[in-house]
Amino acid sequence: MNTTTLFGNSSAVIPPRPAEDSLTAFFWQGARDGKLLIHRCRQCQSYIHWPRPVCRFCLATDLSPAEVSGRGRLHTYTSATQAFHPYFLERVPYIIATVELEEQPGLMMVSNLVGVEPMAVQPNMLVEVLYREVAPGLTLPLFEPATTRRGGDR
Amino acid sequence: MNRVAIAGVGYSTVGRNTGLTAAELATQAAKAAMEDSGLTPEDIDGLCSYCTSGSRATENAMSLGWMLGLMPASWVATTGLESAAFMHPALEAMAAVQAGLCDTCLVLRVIQQQPSTPVVLATAASSPPVAGDAQFLAPFGAGSPTQWAALRTQLYMDAYGATEEQFGAQVITQRGHAVLNEDALFRTPLTLDEYLASRYISKPLRLLDCDYPCDSGSAIIVTTRERAADCRKPPVYVEAAAFSAIQDLNFEILTDTGPSSPKLCSDRLWARTDLGPSDVDCAQLYDGFTIITMEWLEALGFCGPGEAGPFVEAGHTALGRSLPVNTDGGACNVGRRHGANFCIEATRQLRGESGERQVPGAEVSIFTNAFGPFAGAVLLTK
Ligand SMILES: [Zn+2]
Repeated sequence: MNTTTLFGNSSAVIPPRPAEDSLTAFFWQGARDGKLLIHRCRQCQSYIHWPRPVCRFCLATDLSPAEVSGRGRLHTYTSATQAFHPYFLERVPYIIATVELEEQPGLMMVSNLVGVEPMAVQPNMLVEVLYREVAPGLTLPLFEPATTRRGGDR
Repeated sequence: MNRVAIAGVGYSTVGRNTGLTAAELATQAAKAAMEDSGLTPEDIDGLCSYCTSGSRATENAMSLGWMLGLMPASWVATTGLESAAFMHPALEAMAAVQAGLCDTCLVLRVIQQQPSTPVVLATAASSPPVAGDAQFLAPFGAGSPTQWAALRTQLYMDAYGATEEQFGAQVITQRGHAVLNEDALFRTPLTLDEYLASRYISKPLRLLDCDYPCDSGSAIIVTTRERAADCRKPPVYVEAAAFSAIQDLNFEILTDTGPSSPKLCSDRLWARTDLGPSDVDCAQLYDGFTIITMEWLEALGFCGPGEAGPFVEAGHTALGRSLPVNTDGGACNVGRRHGANFCIEATRQLRGESGERQVPGAEVSIFTNAFGPFAGAVLLTK
C-alpha cells in the first residue's frame, strides 16, 4: 500500500532537509527524540507554530518548546501526484495534510498522513503523530488515523 | 480613490519560450501602454513594478524607470515576490496618485516562464538544506502552489459538497471566452470530459485548474481623472479599491478561525462605494487556480457561501449570462500574467474594446487578485 510504505524505502536520493537554526532546532531534535515540540509562550501559554521569537497574542518574548499530545484533527489534505523533488518521484501519490493540533484552535501544522488510503480519508478525522526516520538524522513527525492504543483519553 | 483613473494598458509579446529577456518584456509592455494612452515618458512621473527575472536591471523600479526614460520621477516603488501579484504595484500606484505623490504612474508586471519539471527536479536534488519556514514544508513534500491550491480546493469541497464537475464548469466557461479572444493562447473549446481526463497535479487539483506558465509583460498607466480625460482612450475610473491581509505569508496553514481574506476585502470594498454586486456587468476574478475564482464569487456577494459551484454549473458566469467572469479567458487561457490581465480586460470591457467577447453596455467591472493570506480588489467604472 503506497501510503503506509511512504518513506519506508531506502533510496539513493536524499529527502529535502531542514536547515535547523537557533529558532527551529528544538522541533527537529524533538522529532528525533519521539516528541512533538511546539513553541509556547510562557506568559499567556499560547502555542506559536511556526516558531517565532515573540508571542503574537501578548508580545512576550519568553517562549520555549513545549511537548504536545500529538493528537489533532485533519483540517484538509491533498493526494500529491506530481513530485517537485526527486526524493518524492517514487513516493507519489502521497498525502499532504494540514492538522489542527488539539491543544489550541487554529494551531496548524503541515505533515503527511500515512496509514490510510486516499479514498478512505475523512474530513475532520482524528489523527495522531508517529515518527519516521527518513534519513540519518532526519526524523519526521507524520500523522495517521487515531486509534485507541494510546488510551483514548481525549 | 476619487482622483484616480486608468489611462493606458498594454502587453508585451506573450507566449512560451519567447526568447525575450525580462527587460525586453518590460519595455514592450511599457511602450504598448504609452501608445495606448498617448502619453510619453515625459508625462510619467511615477513607476511601480514587480518583476521576477532575477535580473537587477528589471527587478527594481529605479533601474526600470531609468531604462525607460522616466527619470526624474516623483515616486517609485518596487514590489517583491512576497506580494499579491499584480494587485500590489497597481494599488501602490493608485494610492500614490490619490495621495498626490505623483500624477501619472506606470505599473509594470513582468513574469517569465518557469523552468520545466526536469529542471525543477534537478535543481531540487542539489539544493542546500531548506531554511526558514519552508523547512516545515519541504521535508513533507509540500510547498508547491499547486499543492496549497489543492488543499484549499479539498477544504472547499468538503465544506460545501462542491464537485469536480462544478470546477470543470468554470474552466470550460472560461475556455469558451478564450475562443473569442485572439490574444488567448488556448482557443479550442473544451468539454467536461476533457477536463475530467486532464491529470491531477495534486488531487483534486487538475492541470486544467492551473494558469498557464509563459513569458509576459503587462503594463497599465494610472493617472488623475483630469489628466485621463485628455488621453487617447476613454478614461476608466477607479471607483473603489480594497485589500486585506489576515495572517503570515503561507497558504498551507490558513486557520479558518475568521473570515477569509477575499471576504474581508470585499466587505471593505463595498463599504467604499454606493455600487453593489448587482451593478457589476462583468467580473475579472483571479484564476491562478480555479478555487480562487470560486472563493471570489462568494466573497464579493455574487452568490452565497457555498453556492459558487451550482452558480457556475448553471452557466451564470458565461458571456451573455448574468455575470460574465474572466471574459478574456482568464490566466488559464491567456497565460500567466499574474493578475494583470484581469485589470486590462476590465479596462478594455469598459472602453468597449473587447471585440467578440464584449459585454454590451458594460459600465462597471471589477478585478481581483490573490486569496489565502491576502487579497485585493478594485472596482472600475466608465
Ligand atoms: Zn503570549
